[in-house]
Amino acid sequence: MDVANFIKYILQGTVYTLGVTAVALPSGLILGTLFALLAVYGGKTLKQVMSLYSTVMRGIPPIVLLLILYFVMSGEINLSPFWAGSISLGIISSAYQMEIVRGAILSVSAGQMMAARAIGLTRMQAIINIILPQTLRNAIAPWSNEAAIIIKDSSLVYALGVPEILRRAQLIGASSGSYLPAYLTAALIYFALVFASGRLLGLLEKKLEIPANP
Amino acid sequence: MKKGLILLVLVILITGSLLGCQPEAPLEQTSNPPSSPSKLDSINTAGKIMVGTSADYPPYESVDESGKYIGFDIELMAAIAEGMGVKLEWVDMPFDSLIAAVQENKIDLSISCFNYSEERDQQVDFSEAYYTSKDAFLVAKGFSGTIAKPEDVVTLKVGVQSGTVQDDWLTSNLIDTGLLKEENLSRYERVDQAALDLQAGRVDVLMLDEVPAKNLVSQYEGFNIVLSAELSTGPLNIVLPDGDVALKAEIDKQIKALQDSGKIEELAQKYFSE
Repeated sequence: MDVANFIKYILQGTVYTLGVTAVALPSGLILGTLFALLAVYGGKTLKQVMSLYSTVMRGIPPIVLLLILYFVMSGEINLSPFWAGSISLGIISSAYQMEIVRGAILSVSAGQMMAARAIGLTRMQAIINIILPQTLRNAIAPWSNEAAIIIKDSSLVYALGVPEILRRAQLIGASSGSYLPAYLTAALIYFALVFASGRLLGLLEKKLEIPANP
Repeated sequence: MKKGLILLVLVILITGSLLGCQPEAPLEQTSNPPSSPSKLDSINTAGKIMVGTSADYPPYESVDESGKYIGFDIELMAAIAEGMGVKLEWVDMPFDSLIAAVQENKIDLSISCFNYSEERDQQVDFSEAYYTSKDAFLVAKGFSGTIAKPEDVVTLKVGVQSGTVQDDWLTSNLIDTGLLKEENLSRYERVDQAALDLQAGRVDVLMLDEVPAKNLVSQYEGFNIVLSAELSTGPLNIVLPDGDVALKAEIDKQIKALQDSGKIEELAQKYFSE
């Protein structure tokens, strides 16, 4: 078998891997940030609901939620495998990202809120203008960890028949009998993606660093 | 603490009712076949048929390096679709997911080296047989034992692909009867993983379909089929949605036509002769 074609076939799966990540990571961030705000600033009941959500979602293996959403719940909705997979991963990630953002909010000193209120900002204004910008800065480092996890977990959508990197490696391995080269190619692509995303977020972190910080 | 408990119970009840009410709809449909529309209508309206397969099982179904689906089942299904006058769209999925995908209407039907089994028949329907296969017991280089009959494997470490009819056969005939210890049976998600473990000596013998077994023999040096028998396998069938009489009639008609014209024999020659 032609080596160039072999690698090209597996590489084509990168589109799906990046697609799933591009849906799951931002949707997880938006949901996660919202939930984190509710968990920190919400009332007693909201706090409990959020803590339950986080515990349950982090306790379910992604593949289980994926299969439930695609095969059981989507009887009428008929989600495509790609969307069912991306949304499930986004939901699970929202629980992890909620914990990341929650930690980052709590790391902003309590004096910031008091000072903001003292100069006449409402609670909402203080959260949006004072607390969140500092929070998201602090969250970038742990968040790059989550990005790496999502890129790797995106391989799970193969169970629904999305032809991403891993599934393509399996198929081309089966037809050629060269499993080791196929899986190694897949491993290299995943590594390159995770490495690149880590570098990019590292640059972003540097750029957004508060100048006064040593 | 108490509030938390009540909340937990509520969430469990809500998710439970969500999960509980969904699967019933398709079941009701299938119990009244006259009122449920046949898939055949939607296939003809769309002008295409969506067929699921697990393209990792050469020579029945696999992909070439350009990503094109090839194999016995693939060409057979193409001939069936041609006979029906509709376009064919392939959906690749892991073998384990295929039956669920047919049940949940994600695909119209599935051809993936399926054998009829009573258990599967309760969930889906089967077409008439399009080909008959056998089971093979496969060993690697350096195997010194003898396997004259299937029961001889009970002293060995056995490998099988999970969810296959071979898995069912081993489980009900050797595991459930206590002849083979559960820890001596390794179930693999994919047949190539099983082959790698056989080569590495983690299992002594693999039980699988004879045709892919022959294929592994040609791929791996020293692999050898020590016994072939019709135990779990036999006729190969296409998996169809439960209770869809019209679709089954059409598929059966196409299979019959391909048998009569000698097309199936020709494909078997092309893919299975050594």
